Amino acid sequence: MNIKDIFTPFTVWSSVLKDPVTIKNPIGREAAPRYRGFHYNDINACIGCGTCEAICENQAIDLVPVEGIVTKSGDSGLRPMVDYGRCCWCALCVDICTTASLRLTNAYTWVDTDPDNFRFIPGVDKKDWDEVQLGWRKPEPNYSFYGLHRQHMGELHAEDRKSSFIEFVQGYSKEQAQQEADRCVSCGICVATCPAHMGIPEYIKAIRNDDMEEGMRILYETNPLPEICGRICTHKCEDVCSIGHHGDPLSIRWLKRYIADQIPTDVNTYQDILGTGNLAKNGKKIAIVGSGPSGLSAAHYLALLGYSITVFEKLPAAGGMMRYGIPEYRLPYDQIDKDINYIASLGVEFKYNITVGKDITLDQLSKDFDAVFSGTGLHLGRSTRIPGSDNENVYQSVDLLRDIVTGKPVPVMPKVVVIGGGNVAMDITRSMARLQMEKYGKVDVLATSLEDEDFMPADREEIVEAREEGCTIVPGYGPQEVVLENGKLKGLKVWKCLSIFDENKAFNPKFDSAQERIFEADMVIESIGQGMDLSYLTEEIKSKIEFNNRGRIVVDADYQAKGLPWLFVGGDIIEGPDVIHGIANGHRAAMGIDRFLNG
Amino acid sequence: MEHARLQLVNKLFNDRPKSYKYNLFQMKLLIDRLTQHYNLTDYKQQRHNLAFVTVDKQLSPDIITHLRDYEGFSHFVLLSCVDWIEDDKLQLTYLLNQPNHKYEIGVRVLIDRKNPEMVSLHKMWKQIWTYQRELHEAFGIIFPGSPRLEENFVLEGWTEKPHMLRDFDTKEYAERTYFPRPGRTSNDPATYMREKLYPNQPVTAKTNKND
Amino acid sequence: MINSFLGFKPDRSLYPKTNAEGKLEIDLSSHQYTKLWLGPNHPGVTGNMAMELTLNGDEIVEGKTHVGYLHRGFEKLIERRLFVQGFPTSIRMCVAEPDTNEYLIAACTEELSGYDKQVPEMAKWLRMLSLEMARLQGLLRGVPGQAGTFSLGIGVQWGTYLRDLILDRFEELTGARVYHMYIIPGGVRGLLPDGFKDRMEDNLKEIDQFIIKIRKLIFNNAVFKTRAVGLGVITPKMVDQYGIVGTNARAAGVKRDVRKDNPYLFYDLLDFDPPTATEGDVYARTWVRWQELIQTVDLIRQIMAKMPEKGEIRAQMPNVLNWRIPQGETYVKLESGRGEYGLYYVTDGSDKPRRVNLRGPSYTHGIALLEDMLVNTNIADVHALMVSLQVCPPEIER
Ligand code: SF4
Ligand code: SF4
Ligand code: SF4
Repeated sequence: MNIKDIFTPFTVWSSVLKDPVTIKNPIGREAAPRYRGFHYNDINACIGCGTCEAICENQAIDLVPVEGIVTKSGDSGLRPMVDYGRCCWCALCVDICTTASLRLTNAYTWVDTDPDNFRFIPGVDKKDWDEVQLGWRKPEPNYSFYGLHRQHMGELHAEDRKSSFIEFVQGYSKEQAQQEADRCVSCGICVATCPAHMGIPEYIKAIRNDDMEEGMRILYETNPLPEICGRICTHKCEDVCSIGHHGDPLSIRWLKRYIADQIPTDVNTYQDILGTGNLAKNGKKIAIVGSGPSGLSAAHYLALLGYSITVFEKLPAAGGMMRYGIPEYRLPYDQIDKDINYIASLGVEFKYNITVGKDITLDQLSKDFDAVFSGTGLHLGRSTRIPGSDNENVYQSVDLLRDIVTGKPVPVMPKVVVIGGGNVAMDITRSMARLQMEKYGKVDVLATSLEDEDFMPADREEIVEAREEGCTIVPGYGPQEVVLENGKLKGLKVWKCLSIFDENKAFNPKFDSAQERIFEADMVIESIGQGMDLSYLTEEIKSKIEFNNRGRIVVDADYQAKGLPWLFVGGDIIEGPDVIHGIANGHRAAMGIDRFLNG
Repeated sequence: MEHARLQLVNKLFNDRPKSYKYNLFQMKLLIDRLTQHYNLTDYKQQRHNLAFVTVDKQLSPDIITHLRDYEGFSHFVLLSCVDWIEDDKLQLTYLLNQPNHKYEIGVRVLIDRKNPEMVSLHKMWKQIWTYQRELHEAFGIIFPGSPRLEENFVLEGWTEKPHMLRDFDTKEYAERTYFPRPGRTSNDPATYMREKLYPNQPVTAKTNKND
Repeated sequence: MINSFLGFKPDRSLYPKTNAEGKLEIDLSSHQYTKLWLGPNHPGVTGNMAMELTLNGDEIVEGKTHVGYLHRGFEKLIERRLFVQGFPTSIRMCVAEPDTNEYLIAACTEELSGYDKQVPEMAKWLRMLSLEMARLQGLLRGVPGQAGTFSLGIGVQWGTYLRDLILDRFEELTGARVYHMYIIPGGVRGLLPDGFKDRMEDNLKEIDQFIIKIRKLIFNNAVFKTRAVGLGVITPKMVDQYGIVGTNARAAGVKRDVRKDNPYLFYDLLDFDPPTATEGDVYARTWVRWQELIQTVDLIRQIMAKMPEKGEIRAQMPNVLNWRIPQGETYVKLESGRGEYGLYYVTDGSDKPRRVNLRGPSYTHGIALLEDMLVNTNIADVHALMVSLQVCPPEIER
């Protein structure tokens, strides 16, 4: 020990005149901009997906209904309620929030005498820090708790695909499907939007677990046409997928197709997986008119319940619009057959080339069978009725599409103009492009729609792909006249469309005649929607049932026609038009028929 | 500046694999030497400096002594237990470190879960009795002769089954012992939306949550 | 040392005898001994730990460590949670340097799932920065704290202020002061905020001055020397016998440092040499830690100079809600302020770990070593010993 050691410590006295830290840095300073303080939720952006609840390791979050927030497609109407007795301010809920509505502010002092106040709904219960902008937010970019980007779907190149009707979407590989399935947060928001309310998160989970048989069982619980739907469904679910709020929505449709594609075509495998090998019959008979999606769906679920089903189809094969409306490059026939063969293997009898109302009357069916389901669909083309539209070179898209399938010769001319902006219009546009390619070696098709590009009813990718294939799409014009010269078709005159609906939201387009264009054409195809053909209903039947103001048959929740208990109606003539609505109402009608016949 | 940093990082990525390779080589030699004396099952090289071997319960004190006295594994890192309830086995892991070669070996011993008993190694390192006391409390393993084995470790007055066993359900225990906050209920979005929007329509039978 | 300094010699004949089983025969009814519970709520005890002491006069004849008063069962809780949910819970296993737990959970899960190669470079530098900042704030409390156990409180106050400045930097970087929850499987949760390096440098300058002041205050201090020199000696032989690690081993002349021996992150890019001493007593341990304080300041400067300006912070990992890790086990360790700190992590192919076992240095330092070290010391030195071994009960209880 050293004498210095006695004195050196006294150097601390040098600090004696310094201000204490508490004076230099008084209490009450603002927290750092990234501080994880109290929760705030942008209640209008939040969709109540519950992902924050799922990730919270302390179970601090409950999803509760909030007054004034309605449950609707894409929004559960629930909002997270936080329990500060459990929260540890880890902000995992913020990092995963699918809409980035949830954040932590940098407010950190809150005194309250009632412990129950510390359970509150951020953003709904007003708090002092609601306006505070600083605090922890979902870190961006390149930091995400789930994959933001879709697995790329392999497709044939536009140049290759426009010269044939071969299916051009190649489907996911196992790895791709699993990676895509991994992105799902299992929130279930999409289920309500799917018309058939398919168990989407469940079958996606089956893909993650690589359990295709389980996936198949889940699909068939609500949808007996997975191969078809997996290709051409309008995938409304993807529009609301919560991942889509900050990234690409899940490829729900392709995942469904992936499951169905993994199951071998042979019907026995199907029966084994789905456990439908030996269905007991209950002795009751049902007639189904039309073999479109709703008819097939009803047939399938009724067959499972033990009914003997006979399907009457006026065309030579089953499938309705799926076969005779949707071009082969989107939905190959063997895939249609795969789904339908399985339904047939359940004992469903198909009678082709029989037109109900002509070859057999509906009354006769009602006598021979215990109940009748009618899903006759929309297959009459609608005309624009503009001057010149009665020319022989003005065609209806439904007719042409059907003729392509049945193999009838289809007129193909060098210059084609299509009127319409829906999916059917795109189908005929792209089909004509392929036929032109075959015949002339080049594509010259133009499609024009009333709606602006952003409001065109066709799926976005249909428009993009059509353009890729060399078709021209000119949205925002209304057809005025088919230009004729000596009775020969020369083109289509259109005016710029200013608005489609009037103040009463009624269809009443307004045009600007100054912005006129003439599209040259040798052939015009109208594709502005289809109408139903209810001529098979006799006057007697018509007088018993009711029609609404749009001319549709009035049905109850079981799709039972009002006034005629033995008649059930579904498909596009009730809702839609699209395949998945048909499947959904066919299923519900089947349940309704069962309730009707079995009490 | 950026250049200098890149050089540094590159040097690292050049040098590391070399030293890793050397490490790996040393470990391989070690395993070779061990296999001459002992029957090692389930050898797994987890990293360049970490390997796991499984040995017979009877052999394990022997091999651990051998590792310490002849292979220089002088630093005892930890003794842990894993409950493989499906196989009805408890796995004891003795993790030893070789300070000169700077590698580690984990000696795994599988013991019967119904009758968990293991030789006490408290004479080999002075801290081992603590681990054995903890494992006795947490997994119910008996180490005959280990000092203060029966004393409570962290749980005073515990009367339930050993708490680290897989079949001890923490959540159930907490709910039984403490009071959950009243009035807390939550809703599953998909189920809630079904009730609100389409109560009577056919749906997939399963619930949606991730386990 | 103190005893010899004061010329005091205990009468060992009054001590309890060892019986045939090797246990001490302590007959409390003889009134020769006192049982004293030090803690769990005692300002001098590190954390919530209790020492059950048997005293003969003011000398300790037997000491037993009791833990479990603060936390229990974190390992079990982590076993019941998804991989990504583990780190907010794990940090509580060591309050003094919570970042170490975050890093270990991240490193184990990444290694077992095969994502360790994907962690971006920037994230690794930031991980290293936060680990060194954690060491720094621990030392700022620990070094003067040693003098605090001898009732020299002023250093503790300075240290607490400076630690607060580092916590301010933590708050900026991570969003929290103590439980940072910053290192996440796959990377980290944020880049450096603007101006962070300048503010950090200002703080480091203040710490530089503190380092000089603390040397005058503690190491050239007659009282501290009298009390600390010769107290609680660890010999090099004891290091392996007891599994002693970190500064406790280095103060005894056994140079072991995970950062050097098994470099992780980018520690092999930093220029440093862990300080050592040979005496192995409380004084030497404090001295080594003081030198480590200097070194840590230097390391933070090195990291800030060498790290890239920008970069990705997290690898693209599987969806955290669906993340499954194949069956496997690993042991990952790092050098915390207290020594080798490791995590034994077992997965079974499900979305939750099968077993999570933390190996904290206090597990050996605080029980086997401390209990043996206490015997024959004076009751006034218990806190000094405990602090000098840096015993942290949460990592024992887990
Ligand atoms: S994760 Fe986000 S969007 Fe979903 S419920 Fe929570 S706060 Fe709302
Ligand atoms: S901050 Fe963490 S603990 Fe708190 S509610 Fe969010 S996820 Fe749960
Ligand atoms: S597909 Fe999207 S909306 Fe549906 S459960 Fe998954 S994440 Fe949620």
